[in-house]
Amino acid sequence: MYGTKSKIDLAFEYQSQIPVLRPSIHSRRANLTVKFQDLYGFTVEGNVDDVNVLNDVREKVRQQGRVWWALEASKGANWYLHTTIGQGSALTSSLKFSALANAITLKKLIKKGIPPVLRPKVWFSLSGAAKKKSTVPDSYYDDLTKAVEGKVTPATRQIDHDLPRTFPGHPWLDTPEGHAALRRVLVAYSFRDSDVGYCQGLNYVAALLLLVMKTEEDAFWMLAVLLENVLVSDCYTNNLSGCHVEQRVFKDLLAKKCPRIATHLEALEFDVSLVTTEWFLCLFSKSLPSETTLRVWDVIFFEGAKVIFNVALAIFKMKEDQLLLTHHVGEVINVLQMTTHHLFDPDDLLTVAFDQIGSMTTNTISKQRKKQEPEVMKELDQRIRKLNSLKADNK
Amino acid sequence: MATIGHNNLNAKLVLLGDMGAGKSSLVLRFVKGQFLEFQESTIGAAFFSQTLAVNDATVKFEIWDTAGQERYHSLAPMYYRGAAAAIIVYDITSSDSFSRAKKWVQELQKQVFERNMNLSNTRIGGGWGVEFKEARVYAEENGLFFMETSAKSAANVNDVFYEIAKRLPRAQPAQNPTGMVLVDRPAEGSRAASCCS
Ligand SMILES: Nc1nc2c(ncn2[C@@H]2O[C@H](COP(=O)(O)OP(=O)(O)O)[C@@H](O)[C@H]2O)c(=O)[nH]1
Ligand SMILES: [Mg+2]
Repeated sequence: MYGTKSKIDLAFEYQSQIPVLRPSIHSRRANLTVKFQDLYGFTVEGNVDDVNVLNDVREKVRQQGRVWWALEASKGANWYLHTTIGQGSALTSSLKFSALANAITLKKLIKKGIPPVLRPKVWFSLSGAAKKKSTVPDSYYDDLTKAVEGKVTPATRQIDHDLPRTFPGHPWLDTPEGHAALRRVLVAYSFRDSDVGYCQGLNYVAALLLLVMKTEEDAFWMLAVLLENVLVSDCYTNNLSGCHVEQRVFKDLLAKKCPRIATHLEALEFDVSLVTTEWFLCLFSKSLPSETTLRVWDVIFFEGAKVIFNVALAIFKMKEDQLLLTHHVGEVINVLQMTTHHLFDPDDLLTVAFDQIGSMTTNTISKQRKKQEPEVMKELDQRIRKLNSLKADNK
Repeated sequence: MATIGHNNLNAKLVLLGDMGAGKSSLVLRFVKGQFLEFQESTIGAAFFSQTLAVNDATVKFEIWDTAGQERYHSLAPMYYRGAAAAIIVYDITSSDSFSRAKKWVQELQKQVFERNMNLSNTRIGGGWGVEFKEARVYAEENGLFFMETSAKSAANVNDVFYEIAKRLPRAQPAQNPTGMVLVDRPAEGSRAASCCS
């Protein structure tokens, strides 16, 4: 476990004045590529315009912080911690009304972003992680990590293999201290749920959770609530069946919400899962810049996994014109990669995700999943049987 | 699918093999000429393209570098579907990764048997867990083109891709492939020649 005043705080003190790069006209013309650190310490490569965007984002984050403080002043400290949609049957009607008003305010507020300093507290409460943790003894995480220390399993071997391959070069994650923290979280989880064990992709998710939550234990509970309550079940188990289901649901939604793109890509024989699988398994952490990823997570933890669909659809939607001009699989991927890597302004993405894609309820998504599940199971089953018959042939 | 326009060929190529076998390193060396001691583990798959000039044509490879963990296996068909060639990678220091490679060979032989398949190992000069001879014999028996590569030293990396490029089926007969380094079972070769009509 790392102390509260470790490097992590110093490196990611988002309010600290990172020297603002104001490029000269000349460098702008030269379209130089520069390397710089973003809000969470990741090195990004971008052109001068990207640096400007990121500086603007920093400023917006500060402003958004002021909005949260002001609300705290008027509604009382931690007002948002007790606000969940549809709660409070025992309340009097006037209290109910204010709870409802708070819920609406909060929903809007979260879409505009949670200030990085408040993220640990807000996420922990609104995601349900706090509740989950409260059902077990306080010492659960410590006991678990102690109990599994030194044990070697296939999962721990794979985790060890991936530690140095998780955001290599990051100023905290890629240190012995960072590796050790990430290892403990992933190993502890692999023992908590042996069906999941370790699945590649969780390393990136857990790493970002560590950066945000700042303590291992909270990161662990966030991972638990994410896998056990927020995401579709079986996303990371055995044959990733949950992820296969999500992919099918996504394809249907793309056809419905962006029919022109869907038709075009189909004509190119481009299966969108080629790119979207990683988005769903890593929750965009490998594709979007860190603050943009975390803004998406802000909404996921409050509204649920349906948000992943909104965001994935938005990425396609934003580039509709360009995508329709592609002739080749490689071009499609280039368009999508360039787009995701340069989405430094989270609002660009989230505005499209929520205002243009239109809202989808968790209920609709659940129904779609139910519809796709039997197909997925059948397909996976057939594959396994085919592979087994191969083995038999070769005996 | 290998498709032809003038003397330009587009070829989809897929890399398969155990987690940590060195697939991404091999691709990175080929595409960017780099080797990183640690590069991000691949989730789903990553796409790269690189063009090679081979005798009479330019070959544009569209490379899918896949994730190696066992449970990602269920995603693989999406990536190898329609591929003109596959590189199956194992780590010379890990016999597990060699067993895994054999499984891939089996699967591809049954499902996309007409394709051009290549076995490649990484890490020249590691501990010798997998005997070179064993792998070579296995490759011969299965009609695979076999080559030992090192992404770290760059040894044979370009050569693997070059050899694959030479073996891709063309509209006009390819140059007489003398100077080919390793074996290709004739029957497989002829099947490969008809795969993209
Ligand atoms: N010595 C040596 N190490 C390698 C070679 N190729 C890969 N590695 C190492 O093996 C590890 C896994 O490589 P990677 O390419 O990420 O494997 P992948 O999971 O198959 O994509 C990395 O830490 C690399 O440094 C090689 O040719 N020689
Ligand atoms: Mg890889």
